[in-house]
Amino acid sequence: MTRLIPALVAALLLVSGCGGSGDDATEPKPGEPVEITMWHGQDDIAGRVLGELADDFNATHKDIKVKATTGGVVADQMRQKITTALASGDYPDIAYIFGSDLANLARSDKVLDLTDAVNAPDFGWDDYFAPARDATMVDGRVRALPALVDDLAVVYNKKLFAEMGVDEPAEGWTWDDFEATSKALTDSGKGTFGTAWPAVGDEDTVWRVWPLVWQGGGEVITDDGKVGFGGAPGEAAFGVVNQLAQDGSVYVDTKPDSDQTYQLFNNDKIGMVVTGPWQLPDFIDAKKDFGVAPLPTFGGEPLTISAPDTWTIFDNGDARSKAAIEFVHWLNSPEQDAKWVTKAGSLPIRKGTTSKPEWAAYQKDVPGLSVFLDALDGARVKPANPAYPKVSEAVGQSLVAVLLKRSDPSDALAQAVQTSEAVLAGGG
Amino acid sequence: MPAAAERRPSRLQRVFGDTPTAWLWVTPAVVIILGLSLVPMAWALLLSFQKSDFVTPSTWIGLDNYSRLADDPTFAAAVRHTLIYTAAFVPLSIGGGLAIALALNRRIRFVGFYRTLVVVPYIMSATAQAVLFSFMFDSQFGVANALLDQVGIARQGFLQDPGQALWVIVLIGLWSGMGFCVIIYLAALQDIPRELVEAASIDGARRRGILLHVVLPALRPVTVFLFVWQTFQSLQLFDLVFVTTRGGPLQSTTVVVLYVWQQAFEFFNAGYGAAAAYVLAFGLLVVALVWGIYQRRREARVA
Repeated sequence: MTRLIPALVAALLLVSGCGGSGDDATEPKPGEPVEITMWHGQDDIAGRVLGELADDFNATHKDIKVKATTGGVVADQMRQKITTALASGDYPDIAYIFGSDLANLARSDKVLDLTDAVNAPDFGWDDYFAPARDATMVDGRVRALPALVDDLAVVYNKKLFAEMGVDEPAEGWTWDDFEATSKALTDSGKGTFGTAWPAVGDEDTVWRVWPLVWQGGGEVITDDGKVGFGGAPGEAAFGVVNQLAQDGSVYVDTKPDSDQTYQLFNNDKIGMVVTGPWQLPDFIDAKKDFGVAPLPTFGGEPLTISAPDTWTIFDNGDARSKAAIEFVHWLNSPEQDAKWVTKAGSLPIRKGTTSKPEWAAYQKDVPGLSVFLDALDGARVKPANPAYPKVSEAVGQSLVAVLLKRSDPSDALAQAVQTSEAVLAGGG
Repeated sequence: MPAAAERRPSRLQRVFGDTPTAWLWVTPAVVIILGLSLVPMAWALLLSFQKSDFVTPSTWIGLDNYSRLADDPTFAAAVRHTLIYTAAFVPLSIGGGLAIALALNRRIRFVGFYRTLVVVPYIMSATAQAVLFSFMFDSQFGVANALLDQVGIARQGFLQDPGQALWVIVLIGLWSGMGFCVIIYLAALQDIPRELVEAASIDGARRRGILLHVVLPALRPVTVFLFVWQTFQSLQLFDLVFVTTRGGPLQSTTVVVLYVWQQAFEFFNAGYGAAAAYVLAFGLLVVALVWGIYQRRREARVA
């Protein structure tokens, strides 16, 4: 008889374990706070700040209780986590979703349409920076709220410039200047490179080329769903990448995550990196004397890319949806935004944030941040097209072929255009 | 329940067999096995017959995913890379492991230290290894090229060269994969009865003869196990590639599991990815069947 007890206990544990996930009430009882879950995918400081902000919110909003967790993954893996969560039917109320994934996720009717919510007069949608708003739009509808805003500029290593006797980037510089500067900074004997380009072939490789395409008058995907980077704009963009590769002035980083690129920059081996504001705290920690210049142009107006991330809100019943929108709206208000962006190392989501004292202090601490902020006005975002990941893959492979000098830039471009056309026609 | 089992044994026994309480004992295990392995496998099989992205309602398309896979050059390349890796990794890790185990299976100074050294890579996480080696094999700033410079050999592209990357990954895989073979072989060598070896040497066998006719035959079952195990490991290669190259450069190191991951989670082609996973599963099944047949024959021979 005594031998049966462990088995019974095991069976009991099993039953109660199974029951644990089943008691998520979709509708709260009256009088009790609405519980909502947020998967933010942020570790370290950024995750802690979000946790603190959620606590602040819970303390001041008795009718809502926010549970902010990483979701068990870092932001890079959130797409994977959330798609499986959606498939299983057990998903959070809010998740941190990259802008480039939103178009695909938004095909799910579990992703809320927030168009009406943001157009409410007291929401302050106009106070959001334009790229932040654009990144949440899919087919003309608002399908998420902005979570983080960044853009690209050139960060350069002043020490290496001085050592090599090269002039620092000047206002209104062009891609020709960039190529020449990069070449002048390169010395194979000393092992220095003018610049670096991520060459895994993923989105990291690809999004750096879109500003060149746009500056040349091209598009990623046109409004009527066609490939927009073929012909002259693509030739010009791929031409710059090719020139850097042929000159040997670009460190081709085939390792994921670009860690080594930034390490080499910190070791004065790389002169210029095209990067975002998130990288500045790292350079400051390494005590680098760095400068920030806007992206070069082909002689026209300055133009860069912004790739905002989003808080995507999922439908778990009206009460929870309403609570989730209220929380994110609160999180994005200038008071909270100022706390969040100064810790996450990003740019303000709201224009109102720039007049907060925290932001002013932060901007003083982080030299060059104003260049990123100035560039944000007029920065463009990638198109919200579900086929974009496959277009990006095709362009990524072609760029890597050029960077590794394995392909003529025109052939590589033609290949990317051809594959993308097939993908956009539905053949991929 | 137990009381009932005693009072009316016959009915329970009719349903649950002679020892109904045994079911209580195995139920947790059965539920866990069913829940964690068989149910997901069945679900993935169903998924592979659908056009599904996990996001929108899926549609049943029968074998379309499989016929598309047959014409997919990227998938063919992924299969080829996986097979090349397996063909290189399995014999090299087993052969190298055996050689090291034989070398370490004698009374030499600091043998415990050497054994530990060989085993440490196996304990290290694949991710940590991959990070370590991708720095060492960096084409511009890596230690490997610095060493080649010292001995006057031209610098290599290594992980940056589409022609070399897969072989560098084999090398990294061997570093730890060999450690596992060494552990298993060392254990097996201890199991060889000393009398057998002594008898052979009394009969006049030399070291070579003992190795060929006593030691190696005694190691055969372990070798077959290692062969199967290492084949499984290399067919399922993922983390090493994910961290060092993510399939690049120019898709020269895309392996099947990485391809499945890309399809399911980068391109939102979950159904297609599941079909690719099932092609791999079929390959694993074939290996397992061959092993099963071997085992049965061997048992038959022993009996």
